Amino acid sequence: MNKGKIVSIHSFRGGTGKSNTTANLAAQVAMAGKRVGVVDTDIQSPGIHVLFGLDENKMGKTMNDFLHGKATIREIGFLIGENTGNAEGRSKLAGKDLWLFPSSIRGREISQILKEGVDFNKLNEGLQNTITEFNLDYLFIDTHPGLNEETLLSIATSDILIIILRPDSQDLQGTSVTIDIARSLDVPNLLLMVNKALPKYDAAQIKKDIEAQFNAPVAGVLPLSFDMAENASSDLFSLRFPDHEWSKGLRGVAKAILAVE
Amino acid sequence: MPGVFDRLNKEIQDKQQEGGITPLDLAGLPPALRKIMRLMLRELQMAYPGLCEAVDAMPEADRLSRDDLQDALSTLTQQAWLIRIGDGEKAIYKVNLRRKEGSKLAAGIWSSLDEKLKRNPKDE
Repeated sequence: MNKGKIVSIHSFRGGTGKSNTTANLAAQVAMAGKRVGVVDTDIQSPGIHVLFGLDENKMGKTMNDFLHGKATIREIGFLIGENTGNAEGRSKLAGKDLWLFPSSIRGREISQILKEGVDFNKLNEGLQNTITEFNLDYLFIDTHPGLNEETLLSIATSDILIIILRPDSQDLQGTSVTIDIARSLDVPNLLLMVNKALPKYDAAQIKKDIEAQFNAPVAGVLPLSFDMAENASSDLFSLRFPDHEWSKGLRGVAKAILAVE
Repeated sequence: MPGVFDRLNKEIQDKQQEGGITPLDLAGLPPALRKIMRLMLRELQMAYPGLCEAVDAMPEADRLSRDDLQDALSTLTQQAWLIRIGDGEKAIYKVNLRRKEGSKLAAGIWSSLDEKLKRNPKDE
């Protein structure tokens, strides 16, 4: 059976640009004509909906409703191109097959999950059913930073794991832990992406050093960018500024994802 | 009146309450068991003939013999990491993940948080 691929995006530490990268990669893969879903499994601190222009008023049913048996996966899928074309970058997604499966941003619902825990059979069923019910080619999972059980589940079920790191000693140490876990879970395709690299350093050298250190391919080295910071998650940067160095680097990572058999 | 599907579903749900595997346990499994569990995580549930077909389609180095597959399935069901409904060729297997426990913070903290959030009109 030819099922869609699950792509988990992970970083050991916060602040690496994980949600921004996930949203932009998903958008680029959708722009390439693929059917794409994005699930926010960062249930305790959801954020990726902001990049897709979704706020509390537009948000309907969420993953929290699914986990509590109050909604089906079909009811949660939010077609981005039809609903949030109010920003220059996002408007390019009109007519593209990109769905977001958001987590709730209501405080009470987040506290309910923290208090009651998570039914992992239900969560896994949700992840797999998004692929079959929406006939997806790719399902991107935006994970919680660090290693919690939801993250381990998404890694265990992934076809492709992308680990984002900054060229920083703490990130390098944490990444080695995640790589060990990913290898012990038999993840078939592991890619690294370096983000927020100071432009004064040689990107090719960073790639070479990190590949040698982790014995894993680096799909891209993306620069630290004030333009990106100024965007402040208000739009999909790579669609709005396609000629920017960050966007070019990101498209390289998207290409690496599409190249995986 | 509940049909066959409803009864099977209830049987599976009842069995899923009993234990289950955690995502971290998956990393510690021997390779043969881990292969089966990864497959089952993606497929959610499979009948025995489908499992045989999927195992046969694996790369040669990863492929399990029928005896190894039987041993793996037997170990996984004994641990309640897989749930088996039915026997022999007609058996259906379903993955069983352990529920993530809720926070151990004192109940009072959650109730006062709930009260506070209830007063927030944005959450109404």
